[in-house]
Amino acid sequence: MARYGMVFDLRRCIGCNACVVGCKQENTLPDGVFFTRTLSEEYGVFPAVNRVYIPTLCNHCEDAPCEKVCPSGATYTREDGIVMVDADKCIGCGSCAVACPYDQRTELSKDLFTQGLFGEGELTPFEEQGYSRFTPGMVTKCDFCSGRVDAGLDPACVVTCPTDARIFGDLDDPDSKASRLIRERGGRPPLPEKNTSPKVFYVD
Amino acid sequence: MSANPQSPQNSLKSGRWMRSTCKMCLHSCGTIMHVTDEGVVNKIEGDPTNPSNNGKLCPKGNSAIMRHYDPKRFKQPLKRTNPNKGPGVDPMWEPIGWEEALDLVAGELKKTIEDDPRKILPSLEDFQKMHIWNWPLAFGNRNCFQSGGTMCGGAYHPVNGIVHSAFAVANDVKHCNYWINDGTGDGFSSHLHAAAQSNWVANARIDRGMRCVTIEPRLSISAAKSEEWIPIRPATDRHFALGLCHVMVAEELCDYRFLRKDTNAPYLVGPDGYFMRNADGKIYVWDSANNCAKTWDDETVGKLALEGTYQVDGKECQPAFQKFRNILDGCSPEEMEKITTVPADTVRRVAREFAAAADIGATIEIDGRTLPLRPAGYNYYRGAQGHKHGFQTNHAFKMVNFMVGNIDTPGGLMGVTLDDQWIDRSHVELGENGMMKPNPHQLGPVPPFAYPPNSYDLLEYFPIGLHPPHLNLEVFLNPEKYGVEYKPDVMVICHSNPIWALQGPREKWFEFMASMRFIVVCDIIPTETTQWADVILPAHDALESWNMTMIEPPHTEGMCMRQPATAPLYDTKSEEDIFYELSERMGILAAYNEVINMILGFHHKPELMLEPDKKYTDKEIARRRGLLWNDKDIDWYIEHGHSVTERRSDKWYRPWEGMRLHFYIEDALKERDTLKANMEAANVPFRHDWSWLDYQPLPTAILDPVHEEPPEYDLYSIFYKDIQMNFGESLSNPWIKDIVYRDPVHIALILNPKTAEAQKLVQGDIVRIDSPYGRLFGRIGTSEGMHPDTLGVSNSLSRAKTGHSKVAHAGGHYNDLLPYDLRNTDAVTGQPETVCKVKITRLDDWPEVLKNGGTVYDIVDEISEPGKGRKH
Repeated sequence: MARYGMVFDLRRCIGCNACVVGCKQENTLPDGVFFTRTLSEEYGVFPAVNRVYIPTLCNHCEDAPCEKVCPSGATYTREDGIVMVDADKCIGCGSCAVACPYDQRTELSKDLFTQGLFGEGELTPFEEQGYSRFTPGMVTKCDFCSGRVDAGLDPACVVTCPTDARIFGDLDDPDSKASRLIRERGGRPPLPEKNTSPKVFYVD
Repeated sequence: MSANPQSPQNSLKSGRWMRSTCKMCLHSCGTIMHVTDEGVVNKIEGDPTNPSNNGKLCPKGNSAIMRHYDPKRFKQPLKRTNPNKGPGVDPMWEPIGWEEALDLVAGELKKTIEDDPRKILPSLEDFQKMHIWNWPLAFGNRNCFQSGGTMCGGAYHPVNGIVHSAFAVANDVKHCNYWINDGTGDGFSSHLHAAAQSNWVANARIDRGMRCVTIEPRLSISAAKSEEWIPIRPATDRHFALGLCHVMVAEELCDYRFLRKDTNAPYLVGPDGYFMRNADGKIYVWDSANNCAKTWDDETVGKLALEGTYQVDGKECQPAFQKFRNILDGCSPEEMEKITTVPADTVRRVAREFAAAADIGATIEIDGRTLPLRPAGYNYYRGAQGHKHGFQTNHAFKMVNFMVGNIDTPGGLMGVTLDDQWIDRSHVELGENGMMKPNPHQLGPVPPFAYPPNSYDLLEYFPIGLHPPHLNLEVFLNPEKYGVEYKPDVMVICHSNPIWALQGPREKWFEFMASMRFIVVCDIIPTETTQWADVILPAHDALESWNMTMIEPPHTEGMCMRQPATAPLYDTKSEEDIFYELSERMGILAAYNEVINMILGFHHKPELMLEPDKKYTDKEIARRRGLLWNDKDIDWYIEHGHSVTERRSDKWYRPWEGMRLHFYIEDALKERDTLKANMEAANVPFRHDWSWLDYQPLPTAILDPVHEEPPEYDLYSIFYKDIQMNFGESLSNPWIKDIVYRDPVHIALILNPKTAEAQKLVQGDIVRIDSPYGRLFGRIGTSEGMHPDTLGVSNSLSRAKTGHSKVAHAGGHYNDLLPYDLRNTDAVTGQPETVCKVKITRLDDWPEVLKNGGTVYDIVDEISEPGKGRKH
């Protein structure tokens, strides 16, 4: 069984947000909801200043705080390491959102599904065909496009990334591109002090 | 495998994939579209078989579905019932049928054509359909109201046409090792095939270690990702480039073999600036081996002199290279630093690094041909070139490349054709005296000289230029000065939003719009411009229509097909149907078909030529374009989506082999003197105001007039976009809006913190920005990534409320701050100044018009409030 993870190449990422929008189309995300985001941070003082673009998504932690606190069992980890949220079981309590140290949980409030992406109080055919996978009020997140992964495809954010800054793969396979990058360029997990054992790594 | 309650994702639903082409900007990335069994388009990805974008799409390309299903799309033809027009005034649309709409529009157009066809002002701006763009030629109209020329490359394209005989340029990413970006986001955030080029450039950066250097007043994405950001004072990029040339010439770092053999740098220039010619018109060079003048093609020439002063036919003359050297004497890095603020040491180091990376003398074998290898390129675009002295500025950037012999050479700066049909159809031709024929008019020939002018934007007076649409306003406000005999009274607008994009104060453009008798707009959704229309003719969107195109691909060539993913959602038509129906009703059908045959090149294969009296569908035009490229019929394209391949090396690298390139642009003088003589003969009253000094055969260090504005305007201001806003409108798109207004560089007017402090401003202050020409309102943000002399204004802060629920008022538009006069217009190319000087006034509160909510700043505040469940 594979153990899926993702590596972000910070040298490649140009902060364009194609991943963010690609994710929105793949997952029919309502307005203001993100399964992945690209943050930017400026450092230094003019003229010795730079900006780093930092892609983020659910880190699919081995020791996932969101799973631990979930009272309904909606959050669970698949055998391949993907942390899932069962829309039918989620009671929308928001404990996971509080527990997640990475700000990766989002409550899908009911009005998102009535206001629509254009805020006109009507849904587009695109939304109508896609929103049924969510339960209004649930608190959800990225699932590494688990359906695509099951079909042998890379997550949507990975295939569209113009600079190939997102590398998805099996962390247990030492020959996967993800494993090699982590090894060769010193992959670092986000906030290691949180002891969550993320399966997402950054190289720069 | 455990159950997957979140499945199915959109791309996995039962349905089918179809190949097509993106139209979220003017370029043409290959796509695959997923359509569900119920007929809903629910996923668009990049086409992995297209070698241009390699399966990648930018955020805009990823958001096309939201344009398709936009509830504010025009759903049927509309007629205005409110006679009052103005910004924010509801036109009170009345739905009408197509027959009525087309009869009405054709009737109004015909009325004007019978009166005076010049009275029509077209703004047809679909780069993917040049056969629509050029429709006005069918009734002999050469007017232009669209914004394309000035806000992108008004001087860039003509100078590319002279030097490369091509429309655009790009560094050769396959071999380049030292990539300079000056005022452009190529390879990172904008311009040519942004997603595709970002992929190529990222691979070159990471896999091959290509070094990038970005010169810009702000820390753009390109700058942030480059090994080096060189902050520069706005509108001084030419001086930086001249500083580099100074160092390379002084330290003899140039490719002298290239300059002697492949350019006119050795041609002798006489006292009048023209080349020295013998009685037969042959140009002289100096043979320093035999110490005498010979004609350029004399086979006995021992060594061509690049430097020195000589006497030929009793006149003192110098090689063109020496002439440039004379200019460079005054362009030391120390002198240029006073203008650019870039330290002289930096200029010297970059010049040395650039020349060393160019590896002068190296060769490479490509497809059996031994070519020079010059893996260093100085690339540039809108921000760096958009100045009053745009012609000289573009020429200066070219000169940096000339110095190392990298023009159209592996690793260097490559000419990129607008449309690939020209690659095989003589885009490069031999001109006089061994030189390549200059081809500055990449969008068609300039109309012949006339006074009074026929073109309302004075195009006939810009012999090396593109349309200068800002001058429509200058002429409108001063008709007597320019002697125009007519006033346009009808506008035909298609996929163009001039009232958003044109430079000069909105209020004055509103006056212009209000003076129109009739305005027809063909578009998809409401914009700042559609609210002025009398009739809306709604077009299919790009997921409902056919097309075949390829626009400016930097490394590939071939045709990309667009096909419908769904039947039209509403009662809309293709642009072809609309303009054919109008043409038939106006009695210009045969003329229009002749125009299309010429513009699309169907005359190259006579069997493809359109018949005079027939109307053709978008699919049929697309089919013929495919056949013209590779003899494949539309069914082949439906299966394959495109015929894109990497560029053929013989057409891509040095296609002008054996000809000499225009290091020295003598044509600038020829065109000046021809225009001058014509203006004298016609007694044109404004000829004395014409900037005759702009016509320089070599770039000089003259300052652009923006540097000479009154001192109270103490800051420079620049305008910028990133990939989410690359080219056309996208802020009405909810997915784009969702990312743009979370990005710190797109939600405030940006100052360097030290500048803010000196101005007694803090982050969040509401301010009024005044230039000598206009004003805007906004809120201050700070960033260390801004040159201290500069106020940065994002394109995200430029919209006015339009009736589209997603478009929010931003408090004005940067373009309001820009001039539209002759003083700030390059007399050679028509390029206007796109940098301005401003002063900032702190306000206690927003002006009334921005107090009612729904502004960009209200949106920003709303989405940055924390909420339950980590509201993002």
